[in-house]
Amino acid sequence: MKRAQQPARVARVKKLSRSQGQQILREEEIDSREYEDLFQQQVNKITSGVEAAEETEIHLQAALAAATSGANEGEIPAPPADETPGNHYNILYQRSFDNPVSYIRFSNTVEDCTGCGYDMTSEDDVFLKEYNKKKSGGRYSEDFFEKIMAMFEETAKTHAPYASVDNTVVPFDTMKSVLVDRVRGEVGEFAKAFYDHWVIRQQLQPALKYETSKDNEDADPYVCFRRRDGRQTRKTRARDNASVDRLKKLRREMEDARGMVLATHQREIMKRDLLRTERMIFGQRAILKDTKVRLSIKSNDDDLINQKPQKRPRQSDVPARAPVVGRLPNGSIGPIAPELPQLSDIQTEKENALQRIIETKTQLHRKWNEDHIDLTREPLSPVEDRGPEPSFRPATAQYRYLTPPSSVNSEAFEQNALIQKEAEGTINRYSSPPVEIELQAQRAYRKRVGRLGRLWIDRRNMAPTPLNDNDVIMTDRWKYDQEDDDEQDVYPMDPYDITALRYRSTLPTRSERSAARPSPNDRLTAAALQPPAT
Amino acid sequence: MAGGDKSQESDVPRQKSFATPETLKVGCIAMVYKEGKTRKAEILGVKDTKSGKQFYCNFDNFNKRLDEWVPLARVDLLQEVEWPNPEKPKDAKKSGGQATKKTAAPPSKKVQKRPFPREESVASEGGSTPHPFAEFAATQHSTPSADGNEKLTLALDLDATPGAEDDDPMDVDVEKSVSLAISAKAQPQENFDREEEIEKLRVGGSMTQNQAEISRIRNISKVQFGRYDLYPWYFSPYPETFAQEDLMHICEFCLMYYADPKSFDRHRSKCTMQHPPGNEIYRDDYVSFFEIDGRRQRTWCRNLCLLSKMFLDHKTLYYDVDPFLFYVMTTRDDKGCHLVGYFSKEKESLDGFNVACILTMPQYQRKGYGRLLIQFSYELSKIEGKLGSPEKPLSDLGLLSYRQYWTENLVEILLEHNERDERCSIEHLAALLAMTASDVESTLQALKMQVYHKGEHKIVVPTHLIKKHEALKEKFKTKPKRTIIAERIQWKPPVFTASNRTWGW
Repeated sequence: MKRAQQPARVARVKKLSRSQGQQILREEEIDSREYEDLFQQQVNKITSGVEAAEETEIHLQAALAAATSGANEGEIPAPPADETPGNHYNILYQRSFDNPVSYIRFSNTVEDCTGCGYDMTSEDDVFLKEYNKKKSGGRYSEDFFEKIMAMFEETAKTHAPYASVDNTVVPFDTMKSVLVDRVRGEVGEFAKAFYDHWVIRQQLQPALKYETSKDNEDADPYVCFRRRDGRQTRKTRARDNASVDRLKKLRREMEDARGMVLATHQREIMKRDLLRTERMIFGQRAILKDTKVRLSIKSNDDDLINQKPQKRPRQSDVPARAPVVGRLPNGSIGPIAPELPQLSDIQTEKENALQRIIETKTQLHRKWNEDHIDLTREPLSPVEDRGPEPSFRPATAQYRYLTPPSSVNSEAFEQNALIQKEAEGTINRYSSPPVEIELQAQRAYRKRVGRLGRLWIDRRNMAPTPLNDNDVIMTDRWKYDQEDDDEQDVYPMDPYDITALRYRSTLPTRSERSAARPSPNDRLTAAALQPPAT
Repeated sequence: MAGGDKSQESDVPRQKSFATPETLKVGCIAMVYKEGKTRKAEILGVKDTKSGKQFYCNFDNFNKRLDEWVPLARVDLLQEVEWPNPEKPKDAKKSGGQATKKTAAPPSKKVQKRPFPREESVASEGGSTPHPFAEFAATQHSTPSADGNEKLTLALDLDATPGAEDDDPMDVDVEKSVSLAISAKAQPQENFDREEEIEKLRVGGSMTQNQAEISRIRNISKVQFGRYDLYPWYFSPYPETFAQEDLMHICEFCLMYYADPKSFDRHRSKCTMQHPPGNEIYRDDYVSFFEIDGRRQRTWCRNLCLLSKMFLDHKTLYYDVDPFLFYVMTTRDDKGCHLVGYFSKEKESLDGFNVACILTMPQYQRKGYGRLLIQFSYELSKIEGKLGSPEKPLSDLGLLSYRQYWTENLVEILLEHNERDERCSIEHLAALLAMTASDVESTLQALKMQVYHKGEHKIVVPTHLIKKHEALKEKFKTKPKRTIIAERIQWKPPVFTASNRTWGW
């Protein structure tokens, strides 16, 4: 019976919202039989988080069952750890530790803390002991042995980084040269012996397997700690360009640095050569002196000492160039190295060039306008009959001079102004033919191009055709040809009309918009009220 | 019930016959004595020792940490042995893409092949032989409860006839879970894609579900670590030659590993490290916590991972340690700060996990340290203002520890609410404990606290939990409870820039 009811009951269960507050009861607060029944409904499986394949392990199930039923906690058996017998620990771990008062901050790595990177093995120990026995003289300590071995390892890593793949063995000569650099002094015959031992031992060093190539190692359980490729960043043109620029810059800087290093290298070599030469000279002089003394040659000892370098003749040249300097303002600036070009020279040169350009342009313009006659009756510009060619009307500022360079001094500026004045005289002016020449009542057309390429044709002195009142279209044609300045339309206006006032009052006043700022509203309204002057 | 499950199983007929010591080979499923009973065990490895052949056995429904090398004497040869199926790629192809993929993946070592229960779904041929577990279940049904349990001893029993299967220790209750296990174990196999997982691991996470990855023979037999000898539970990719060593040494502080005792001595004479190489972020009278960046302390963190892999089945070392932070718990004495346990945490977890791997060293287990580790992980989440959850899959021990922590804390809060007669929502509980709401839900359900009663959802605290809670309270009156004191944490959530993310942390 219960079973028959169950589906119905299950179906009625409301979905439990996580944010819904729930009543919390103790088990005794609820009827025990009812409580038992409640769990008959629960069908959905609880996710434990343990992998499904292991969820069913006997010990885990037992422990979980114990936890839910309240029985003694089941334990999962696990191989235990034993304390190592003997006083092994205190021998191996001898350093004592003082706990600092503050929290420890530490960033040294394992490599920093373990000293020499090579730990000798039992085989190494045997080898070293035997070697030391054979050698009656110098005994080599374990530390020294390890140091040498570490050096071998390190050299091998730099010279044959793929030794694990291609089994390259770094030859002894390479090792030796490194050793000579590192161990100040003579590399004893121990090196060869150690090296031979190292070559034998090298392959036997246990090491972790890291990834070497892509294929065939995915399944190898010993390969570990693979590199994670960086996450893909979104590729954009801007990012590409930025990285290209950065690369370029980096490359430039690297090349600069390289150049500097090379130059420095060169300099040092030259210094060395210089020193050598001087030394040689010194030696030669010593010999010379000896010889002189021996042969008792009496002469001045000029060749035994360095002559003072002769004064450079160039210094006398400077006054000759003085006038150049003199052109500079104040003249207070001292002599300048003659090979340097003067600023003023350059400026005048520039100005001349400018002047030339202006002149050629003027010529050009004249040429263009040679046969031009402006027949407009009243040119827009006032006629100034100053120019040599009266047919040109005046035009101002045909050329814009280059603004003077900002660095020039005030004098240069004045010079510039002077040129401008000068130029003004040669400016072209256009003017229309004199008014007298103009034929009265002559028909005239003018084509104008307005903004946006609109084409205008102005007409003047059109003879009005005999008026035909019926011909409205024809009359209309000429409607605007007359100028009637004095005849304007009069709009009737009622000065007491309040329509405008009313309209105005519906608009939001300024005070409404910004109550804080008082505005001369009244005057505005008054102005609006006034009828337009006729 | 059993029949329904049977239909889901991938039925693989396996040859059954008696075996001799010589013919027993990798992949066989034999009955092996374990803890006074014969149990189904798969042979994963065979080796010859001076005392005779030994077999590496994985016992059915036992965690892999209980896998062991057994001498021939413990193998019950009077019972039939199931032979591994020969590979039939043609048949596999018929059965579908997944199976093909599986067989195509070249497991060069036979060991990686698991004929049961992690076997491939190979098409059935004939079907005359039922699945071993189905048959097993059937025999269980036909025979009344096994009273012969006491009869069996470790010594080879001459009475053991083929009928001795009846004496299998599993009672009927477990049997259900056995058949469940088969279907459950078959499932991850089917929809498991190695490439997908590697990609997933690349961007985050540290746990694998790859069977080939985790079903390996333990390679290190014994580890000397600090004051203790540890017996590893699982495979760890230490250098291959270490597998041949009887004893491996690991420096307690820098975690470097040595097979050669002389090397280890030399190392110890030079090593100056006395605590984990990071910043201490918590200290009380009992423990300290250190925060270590996987990128900055690569060697140390790799060593830690190798070490912990010996005790964490699902941990993967496929990728490097860079994207993880390691929070290491230590105890102090006059020698230094000794590693007790740790948890790792992704610098940026896409799934909102606050723990990737978590481990208490075996020598410190069952002492309440695990709870401290878990609590600390949640305290960090509280500081971050996030709800956290451990990365899945959990290990069996991990699940128990987390369940215990969750239960204790939930019960405490619920009882407080009960006294004040207040209502409480799941989200509220989650926020108080920095747990995810789904963890709260699953715990409440697992402990049978979430009920639907009289048209309303209610939380009922079972009496046994109340009793346990009160007992604990009593206990803490005399012996103060060891907890993390949140005020002593000196920690700010580390911030990583975009370039960190792009360039692999």
